[in-house]
Amino acid sequence: MPDVEVTRQIDPSAKVAPDAKVSAYCVIGPNVTIGPGTVLRRRVCVHGHTTIGSENTFAEGCVIGNAPQDLKYAGGPTLLIIGHRNRFGRNTTVHVGTETGGHLTHIGDDNVFQQGCHIAHDCYVHDKSYFGRNVLVAGHICVETGAVVEDHVGIHQFSTIGRYSRIGPCTPVRRDIPPYTDFYCDQTGQSPAVRGIHEPGIKAAKLAPDEEKELRHILGELFDDETALETKIEQLEKLGVEGEAAAVCEFCRRSLRGVYGRYRELFRGGAPPEAELFLPPQQLADIRRTLS
Amino acid sequence: MPAISPLAIVETSAPIPDDVRIGPFSYIGAEVQIGPGCVIDNNVTIVGRTTLGAKNHIFPMAVIGTTEDGSEAGECYIGEANAIREHVTIYAGANKATRVGNDNLIMIASQIGPGAIVGDHGIFDNLTQIGPGSRIEDYVRTGAYSFIDPDVTVGAYTFTVAYVRVNRNAPPFATIQGSPFRVRGVNAENLRRCGFGNDDIRALKNAFRELFNDTNGPCDAGVIRRLKKLAGTNPHVMQLIQSIEPEARQVEAQDNA
Repeated sequence: MPDVEVTRQIDPSAKVAPDAKVSAYCVIGPNVTIGPGTVLRRRVCVHGHTTIGSENTFAEGCVIGNAPQDLKYAGGPTLLIIGHRNRFGRNTTVHVGTETGGHLTHIGDDNVFQQGCHIAHDCYVHDKSYFGRNVLVAGHICVETGAVVEDHVGIHQFSTIGRYSRIGPCTPVRRDIPPYTDFYCDQTGQSPAVRGIHEPGIKAAKLAPDEEKELRHILGELFDDETALETKIEQLEKLGVEGEAAAVCEFCRRSLRGVYGRYRELFRGGAPPEAELFLPPQQLADIRRTLS
Repeated sequence: MPAISPLAIVETSAPIPDDVRIGPFSYIGAEVQIGPGCVIDNNVTIVGRTTLGAKNHIFPMAVIGTTEDGSEAGECYIGEANAIREHVTIYAGANKATRVGNDNLIMIASQIGPGAIVGDHGIFDNLTQIGPGSRIEDYVRTGAYSFIDPDVTVGAYTFTVAYVRVNRNAPPFATIQGSPFRVRGVNAENLRRCGFGNDDIRALKNAFRELFNDTNGPCDAGVIRRLKKLAGTNPHVMQLIQSIEPEARQVEAQDNA
């Protein structure tokens, strides 16, 4: 039997683990690291300064680590780091970071990206999130652990998607989504809003029974009636909240402090706080040196 | 010598300029012409009677010059200095050529239908669908998932908000939103970036208030006639009126009949 997997181009200076599977018509650029057990199916190409962990799967036609679509990007050596055990569907695209946005796009572990997803520059996707078909994640977005983003959701740049929240299909997201909430459009496909608690999310978070009870109470209070969110947060915090409930209050307060309900707008033009957390020390030092 | 990867398939007999780069697994069909300075990444497919101008950058997985029935018989002209991103499809027109101007950024997974005419300096966000035979004027910006119907015109400097459906001609200078779309106002930010003065923007805003007033139908021909008498001074308002007048007249004639 002839080896059908020979037609591929792997740059000699790329670091590909011996048991990573690189299929036919794949193209791997010079500054790429691919961990053990990762599978690249046909026509996947990996460019840029990209580090991919172990046991990821990339379906046909993925383009990983290409230059961002940001007009300010000048072609500098910015990074893309992908963790372990992620699944990327067909034609998924992930871009590297930009110089003005923190130099890094970071994807954690155990995420699922369905066909046609796009993760833009300078995004931080934490762990265990699900992205449906054709989800467009614009630049500078943070998606926290366990979020569920259904098909055809477009997320505005600089938004934050709270942990264990859900966004319904075809919903335009223009502001931060609080943790544990269910955000979707009404029956006519208009007026996207928080419309309840994401029950599977609360279950997945495995909170202590007391903490869960308090969290449910707080979420009910925050998104139930017409009182201004800020007033309600103040009222609730006066009564004393702790644990996850306090974290949700803090999340909402930060969103209100941002621009149009987007906290991360405050980091526009500079690096977000996560950049220091996730950037490898060597690169962080390099970047600091070039900046100073 | 052009830098053509040994893994690329180049069938064209037209000369390929020296500074062109073609990546591995790309396919250049027999009747394709490539201008100087083009960068064609890996896994790109260019077929049909397609002509690329100078300095275009085609990213991986893009397909240019294919037709909707899968044959390779159409015509497609791409201008200069366009960035055509990953997974973009530009169809070739069988009866009428598809034309893309200069300096456009066509983002991931967008589609340009057969026979569409795209102007210059446009930015088309991810998954923009430009229908067959539609016309996009200069400096248009589209939001993600914008859907432009066949045979409609999107006026110059207009911004289409994400998830818009452009089901009829869209005026120039506008911000449009919704499905079917409404004119939400003047696209002042884009106009400012494109060097319009405050006077122009104010004149346009005043005209927009009278003409559209956040309705989602064609404009009133009476208002147009009145504005025409007043607005002789500002050329941009005249351009706006000229572009929407035929449709308004048509509607008026139908109402009178």
